[in-house]
Amino acid sequence: MDQIAKERDRLLQRTARTYGLSFSVVSLICLAIPGSVSLPTFLATLPLYLLLAFSQYRIGVSRSIVWIGLVLASGTAILLTVVLLDSENPTQGAASALSLLVSFSMASVAIVLATGRYRIPLLGLVAVVVGVLTVVLTAPWQDTLHTVGLFAVGWSSTILIGVWIAAAVPQAARRIASIGRAHRAERHASEIEAQRRQSARLLHDTVLATLTLLAHSGVGVAPAALQQQAADDARLLRQLRLGASPAPQSSGQYNLEPVEETVLGTTLESVKQRFGRMGLEVSWHGTGQVLLPSDVLDAFLLALAECLENVRRHSGVTEAHVTIVDDATTVRAMITDAGVGFTLDDVDSARLGFKESVVARLKEVGGHARLFSSPGSGTTVVLEVPR
Amino acid sequence: MSYNLPNENTLGVIMTSKTGRKSPRNSPRERRVVRSQDIPHRASLGLGFIGTGASLVTALSAIYNFSWFVVLWPTYSNPVPALIAWILLISALIGSFVIARVIGDWLPDWIFVAFLCFLAGAVALDLAAIWDQNDIGRSATACLTAGVALLIVVTLRRGVEILVADGVLALVLITTIIINTNLSDLDRLAPQLTSVAFAVLPAVIGVIIVRGFRRMVQIELDRVLVQSTVSAPRFAVGMLASEELARLDLAAEELLDSVATGRTPLPLRPRTASVAASLATELRLHLIEGRRETWLYHAITESEMLGKSVTLTDKGSLAGLLDPNQRDGLLSAIWMLVSEKVKPSATRTVAVQVGPIVPTGEAPFPGRKLAVPVEIVTTGIARNRVDPSTWEALRRVGRYSDSTRDASVKIDIECLVDNPADV
Repeated sequence: MDQIAKERDRLLQRTARTYGLSFSVVSLICLAIPGSVSLPTFLATLPLYLLLAFSQYRIGVSRSIVWIGLVLASGTAILLTVVLLDSENPTQGAASALSLLVSFSMASVAIVLATGRYRIPLLGLVAVVVGVLTVVLTAPWQDTLHTVGLFAVGWSSTILIGVWIAAAVPQAARRIASIGRAHRAERHASEIEAQRRQSARLLHDTVLATLTLLAHSGVGVAPAALQQQAADDARLLRQLRLGASPAPQSSGQYNLEPVEETVLGTTLESVKQRFGRMGLEVSWHGTGQVLLPSDVLDAFLLALAECLENVRRHSGVTEAHVTIVDDATTVRAMITDAGVGFTLDDVDSARLGFKESVVARLKEVGGHARLFSSPGSGTTVVLEVPR
Repeated sequence: MSYNLPNENTLGVIMTSKTGRKSPRNSPRERRVVRSQDIPHRASLGLGFIGTGASLVTALSAIYNFSWFVVLWPTYSNPVPALIAWILLISALIGSFVIARVIGDWLPDWIFVAFLCFLAGAVALDLAAIWDQNDIGRSATACLTAGVALLIVVTLRRGVEILVADGVLALVLITTIIINTNLSDLDRLAPQLTSVAFAVLPAVIGVIIVRGFRRMVQIELDRVLVQSTVSAPRFAVGMLASEELARLDLAAEELLDSVATGRTPLPLRPRTASVAASLATELRLHLIEGRRETWLYHAITESEMLGKSVTLTDKGSLAGLLDPNQRDGLLSAIWMLVSEKVKPSATRTVAVQVGPIVPTGEAPFPGRKLAVPVEIVTTGIARNRVDPSTWEALRRVGRYSDSTRDASVKIDIECLVDNPADV
């Protein structure tokens, strides 16, 4: 707000300068009309007018109160000079010049006095003093009602200008601040957007390759293949534009993804469907997408399928719950059922199969399996593999 | 619908057949100007309030002059034209006030011309009514209010148009005064002069106020927009570059789409092939990792005020190491150095160099900090003209020392920043 307060003061000062100078010039011209005042009086007021004009010019540049005081002093001095030296024959020219001077030229200081805690009472004081002085001194020149009326109009209009501009500035400042906040958010968003685009490297690689082919006018490539590639790339770009981060798997005739990595979600889905067809309801909880190296993934999924098969065969219930959690180092799956359970000592041939198929597989890839069960309380199997 | 070649090249410069190809150096500035005009109601922020004040002044003047008209009614030989003039004037005032509130920030040309015609009619009728009194200065009422009435539209039209209308009114008044009044009677000259002044000066002062207000709002908007760069990360792509990247992606998508659907036949025409080539080149340029610039670079290039006078040398992109408080201080200091313009014609340049780090043999600073030297050289500003809050802002950046040589002030700042290698 400091910055805009300075700009506001600068605006008020420039306005006061223009206002004051223009009316001072007109007042001087009125006084310069031959016959308005006697020549000695005119020559006496001329330096005072110059001082007035200079102070009004300086008000436009500096905020010091000295110049305001000088304006008021020189204006009052001109008033006194004309009234005292030329009181015998009041002329229209002199009356006009004085009213312009007092009600408009000197009133320009009200524009710069409209802001600030100490300035407003000062403004009131100044207005009252000058008003009284004017009315008293120009009584023989112009009827009092006219003088007071013009004085009121002049000073109130400058006070209005000063107060109004000073009130308009904080409004504008608030709206500018809100525009600034919105712009900061927009800048942040466009930064993220640009980084998202820049990191879609595979996508841009394939787009650049297609564009380079097109730059050679498509010579050397079968048109149908080029069209197919262009269609794929346009589709990828469209997905990027609409906000997704596409990971292209193939474009045209070449694969873009390393074949080892697959997403857990698609394979889990096939496990789910397989057991659903066989009559076992499997509820999945936890993360559905975990990336693992392919051999670990194979072992994990096979062990999981084996456990579910055991549930189907031996537990006597048609529902099982699988919870998959992962952290930075391990992926863990818990298979629970509310079936008959068994005692670990009571091992028969089926359980041997469990040991071989599940535990051995996991041990190969560095994981392990744990089994918790007791008769009547169901079974819980915990499979863990490292990432 | 076949694929249309874009009528701007890939740097966003509009290319027409008449104008030649503009150099890429100019294009960020051009686009920056276009963008700042896209900010809605840029010129009318806060002017609605000022417009209301101006209308208030017009109303006061209308009331004052109308009361004079009522007082002078018996002196008219035929008051009907003057009455019609006042009716025209009041309807013009009320009509334009209502339309201004409804429309908002710009008056359409035809409404402005109609308004001026109403005012001209009022002035003509009033002059006709008081012609035989041979004292225009004292008896003109509607003419004076017509001059002040221009204040109602001062925020809605360009200042030049208001000034021209005002000048025409002044000319008409002065001519009729010279023709009509007996100028050898010098005692009558003063009221004529006063009346012309009251009719003409308010509009001039209004135009100056509105112009100053618009300039102030524009500068403040510019400052606030670049202030948002302070919170950027160490390296940022910048708003201009990210906009260009999105545009290039869209252009590539459209081209590929039209090839895929067969709208553009294969093999391509040479012009389309060259568009594809330039798209590929520009995309490559944008995707290079090292194209990121620091916040200071973006602040200077995206600002209208700073971009004109500030040059930045920052080979090592060290400006990104400053923390937000230091960045704010540096930006405020540069802004205040640039905006302290006494004469509009004075040229002022500021050269900022975020210097290369000179390894000294001294002991490392406490807290594993790195010293980055910043040097600011300004021309065209005297040392005592510099705003005191500039020094305060510089203190936030780091320890500084300043020296004066000829007419230029040289400031050396030593900023302590966190060593990026230790983070």
